[in-house]
Amino acid sequence: MKSRTCWILILLGAAQLAPDSAYGQEQLAEAITALRSGRYDAAISQFSRALRRDSRSADAARGLVAALSEVGRYDEAERAARQFRSENPSSGRLDNSLGEVLYATGRIEEAEQLFTAASASEDSLVARYNLAVLWFDRGQVDQAMAEFDRFIDVYNRGGGLTSGELSAVASAVRYLGVTEPALFRDALRAYDEAIAADPGNLEPRIRLGEMFLQKYNGTEADATFKEVLELNPNSPRALLGLARTRRFNGEPEAATLVEQSLEVNPNLVGARLFNATLSLEMEQFGEAESEVERALQINPMSLEAMAVRAAAKYLRGDERGFRSGTSTILEQNPRFSGLYTVLAEASARNRLYEQAASFARQAVELDNRCWRGFALLGINQLRSGDMDAGRRNLETAFDGDPYDVWTKNTLDLLDNLQQYTVTTSDRFEFVMDGEESGLLTIYFTSLAEEAYEKLAEDYSHRPATPIRVEVFPHHADFSVRTVGLVGLGALGVSFGPVVAMDSPSARRIGEFNWAATLWHELAHTFHLEISGHRVPRWFTEGLAVYEERRAREGWGNRVSPSFLMAYRSGRLLPVGELNQGFMRPSYPGQLGHSYYQASLVCELIDRLAGHRVLVEMLHGYARGRSTKELVESELDMDLRQFDDVFEQFLEEKFSGVMVAMPSDDPTEAAATRSREQIARRARSNPGDFLAQLEMGRVLFQEQDHYAAITHLERAKSLFPDYAEGDGPYWLLAQIHKERGDTRRAVAELSRMVSLNERHYGSRLELADLLSTLDDERGAARVLTEALTINPLDAELHLRLAGLYAATGDLHGTVRERRAVVALDPVDRAEALYQLAQAHFDAGEWTEARQEVLRSLEYAPSFEQAQRLLLQIHAKRGGGRP
Amino acid sequence: MRLLLLCAILLCGQTVPASAQSHFVIVSGLGGDNAHRDQFYNWATSLVSTLRETMGVAPENIIYLAERPERDQTLINAKSTKENVTEALSELASRSAADAVIFVFLIGHGSYQGESSRLSLPGPDMSAEDFARLLGGFETQKIVFVNTASASGDFVEALSAPGRTIVTATKSPFERNETIFCEFFIEALAEDVADVDKDERVSVLEAFSYASAEVARYFDSQSRLLTEHAVLDDNGDGVGSSEPDPKGGDGALARVVFLDAGAPTRSLLAADDPELKALYDRRAQLEGQVLLLRNRKEGMEAAVYENELEKVLIELAQLGQTIRERESLLRRP
Repeated sequence: MKSRTCWILILLGAAQLAPDSAYGQEQLAEAITALRSGRYDAAISQFSRALRRDSRSADAARGLVAALSEVGRYDEAERAARQFRSENPSSGRLDNSLGEVLYATGRIEEAEQLFTAASASEDSLVARYNLAVLWFDRGQVDQAMAEFDRFIDVYNRGGGLTSGELSAVASAVRYLGVTEPALFRDALRAYDEAIAADPGNLEPRIRLGEMFLQKYNGTEADATFKEVLELNPNSPRALLGLARTRRFNGEPEAATLVEQSLEVNPNLVGARLFNATLSLEMEQFGEAESEVERALQINPMSLEAMAVRAAAKYLRGDERGFRSGTSTILEQNPRFSGLYTVLAEASARNRLYEQAASFARQAVELDNRCWRGFALLGINQLRSGDMDAGRRNLETAFDGDPYDVWTKNTLDLLDNLQQYTVTTSDRFEFVMDGEESGLLTIYFTSLAEEAYEKLAEDYSHRPATPIRVEVFPHHADFSVRTVGLVGLGALGVSFGPVVAMDSPSARRIGEFNWAATLWHELAHTFHLEISGHRVPRWFTEGLAVYEERRAREGWGNRVSPSFLMAYRSGRLLPVGELNQGFMRPSYPGQLGHSYYQASLVCELIDRLAGHRVLVEMLHGYARGRSTKELVESELDMDLRQFDDVFEQFLEEKFSGVMVAMPSDDPTEAAATRSREQIARRARSNPGDFLAQLEMGRVLFQEQDHYAAITHLERAKSLFPDYAEGDGPYWLLAQIHKERGDTRRAVAELSRMVSLNERHYGSRLELADLLSTLDDERGAARVLTEALTINPLDAELHLRLAGLYAATGDLHGTVRERRAVVALDPVDRAEALYQLAQAHFDAGEWTEARQEVLRSLEYAPSFEQAQRLLLQIHAKRGGGRP
Repeated sequence: MRLLLLCAILLCGQTVPASAQSHFVIVSGLGGDNAHRDQFYNWATSLVSTLRETMGVAPENIIYLAERPERDQTLINAKSTKENVTEALSELASRSAADAVIFVFLIGHGSYQGESSRLSLPGPDMSAEDFARLLGGFETQKIVFVNTASASGDFVEALSAPGRTIVTATKSPFERNETIFCEFFIEALAEDVADVDKDERVSVLEAFSYASAEVARYFDSQSRLLTEHAVLDDNGDGVGSSEPDPKGGDGALARVVFLDAGAPTRSLLAADDPELKALYDRRAQLEGQVLLLRNRKEGMEAAVYENELEKVLIELAQLGQTIRERESLLRRP
């Protein structure tokens, strides 16, 4: 933060430039225009020329210092400032500028002297602001705040403040906003006035953008930085601001923008630190440290840089380096809570939620007005399942910073969550919307318990219980629970002891399989606990997908044409870089490819050394070992060798289907191809899966089923794993069904559902066909699978109840009758009676009695239920039925 | 207070039947085009047929006003103009018995133009206030007013009063899309689908609940956002409920109001057989006890409640068997 403030003030100096003599006025004006429009070389040259003409021109000297600083040539900036001061010993007009350069490069004491001296000069207001910031950064917070407070009086006295001075006032008021949030609105007004006072001065616009971002307003921040970049496309700080905004908004290009910023100013400390933070998120701790070291070479006293370095060391497991780093920071500023918020954020980004809460707690202990610290503490307590403490701390955070949209969203969500129903099973606590809870717990409970048992056996580990599973009927709520904002694309998340996920009702039917998602997230819970939350993202995702595939036929990602084409074009990442595919995908579809690729890596490790080694690797990560080290120790090969083996594995697995992939991207022109082109393409490419499929589809639509079968069968044989709703299995099944060949239709659909976990219609259709073949058990099995896609259809449960009853599956009947009741049917008495009857048939007299009483409670004259009640009464020894 | 009133009604076995003292006024408004004209005609005709054939309502107790009376002069009494509607309701107010039940059923397009909701009729439309004035003529009679048109929501506030059940297809005048509620409300009366308390009769509340649920299901099946939210008000507070709960809000009156003409066969049987009449009376008593128990449920221990409920229900079930046997005996030639 300190360094960013300094750069602001350097530019502020530039903004205040005005020719101070008639001589060279025109040249100076040109130089200022060049500086403000980002033509920095020209500005430096013009200011230098002006200074050579008149060595007493303080405006030229200040412009030169500003331009040099803007591009990171701090040594030259310092020399220019010192030279002016030595040639003009009676002028104090470069004191503030020199102070800013020295402060930005870590020479605090000398900077303090210069700011103090300049406080009496024409730069007094700006210098006083700089001095107060210096005190603040050094931990003299009360002294600094008292000084910031005086800026309000300055403003209230009104009149005659320049754009730069108004900008300083606004920035001072921002500091005061920590105690009185309404002051941020005053800061906004002062920035607006600063912009109006000199529209060409970009400084207040940049600071305004930074304030918007600080106050969680990504939209306004984005617009403001773009405005600056329209006027000065090379502004390093505007580029950095836009990069940060993009990251805040969850949009791409953050890395590209920060690189652009560093191209203009390779010594911009904030940009280096932003890069380092991105690397930390990518779990590239070495790269992060390199960037921090570069920042510290520029400003060895940057507290923020030291904090990021401490975070990198902590995440890398360098306990000694971490402790030494934190001590150094606190010696410099014992009240620097930013150390712990940086550590908390970095920990949370790396899934170390308990540690994040612990760091955040230290932040608020150090500074009880560190609202970000309270927010981080609360949010990470929630992630660890400590709901009450989490809410309390979030409320504190929001009281202090009512602009924090993450905290507000989460508090709103917690209000809703209080209305949810909590049910428990042996090892789980399910938190679900009351309208869905009765139904979903029937299925979630049995699946979660099964997953726990299976994974506990495979991993020889039993995570702490109860595991809290939160299920959200609105995707936006799940998104807020996960990241504080709406817009997250994921289906579920595991924080370890807490799993949050979309309810089946949160998405359209066929978008996901809730059961596979739950299994996936529970696998993460195991991975996180075994590895002490230090498992890399790529490994836990890959292993979770692999566990899906091990759990049920058809679950887990499957190979797709786009994956095969990415493989062929060399776009799959080496194992050592797989995290990038998750954290910073470089092309559309790479995230999905990375999930699948990572799962194949785990499959290969299992094949090479057994599942035990996958578990051993989790333990290895817990001990702070890297993927490279673990591959070497567990698989006896280095990463390069492993990549080769993986390549062979892919070759072996996919060489057959690879030849069926087209050489170009077939989706590009598919929509515009004429029938003739499609036919020609199919004729000339008999081994091209997509060409055959496309022709098959055309013929299917034309109802030329006989010809369609030829192409669809060929497509199927070329790529047997393709089981999407537009694929050969589905189309062939439709054709066979229409032709009355039920058995062949059943065969196609059976294969399809064994490969596709999300396709609902194929399961309903298959069940229908199986019923016509009197295979009621098969139909029941398929419809039970359909429930993992859509458990909310009452008709499906009724049908399943009938099938179970017909096949003598009494417990299955009871379960489905329970589901019908849980769906709150209009005819509740009938549903309860049917449930009671199912219990009765299963010999469960107690349950039967309860349910029939519930039915008759609602409909006392219900004849069938009355008869059943008398039967139950008789069974229980109560007399005549 | 509402709760006590409800208990009193049931303990005496006094539901509010549509007996000979019930009158029906069905108003089918302007269709605007052939498709809607046909739809409204089909709905209204289906309702009239159901009342006459399934529910045993005497034809002279049904007034059916429609856009084009010539389509079926055996069923339709007159054109559905404001004048005719006014005359029909005024005349009914003057001749109906003090304890009669008046059913008013509106079918058609509704509108809202900033002041109040209206039903589109041939000639001048009729507003909620127009109907409120006309219903003012029924000082003692029970009223069931069902407006199935679009933008009908603010009829609730305009017509609400003690002793009246007001049903509208939309919750506000701003739900202006054409509605489907009517179809399912009539289906609830015409088919054996809505009798959820299994007393072999469909109450206004049951019909409302069924229709509301089916409307939601219909929209869901079409993957469309629900654009009509029906409400019911019967506690006179002028605020409709989308999910009436007789235990503590709307629904207590609608639950005991029926459109059918009672159970004439049973009445005849009971009139000839004092023993059967005594059994019916006992059954009504026991049903009342069930209701009383339900109302006390929250203050009772679960096991105690269940045992007491079971005791009453077993007697009721045994009594039901006895009644069925007796009825069967009496029906034999």
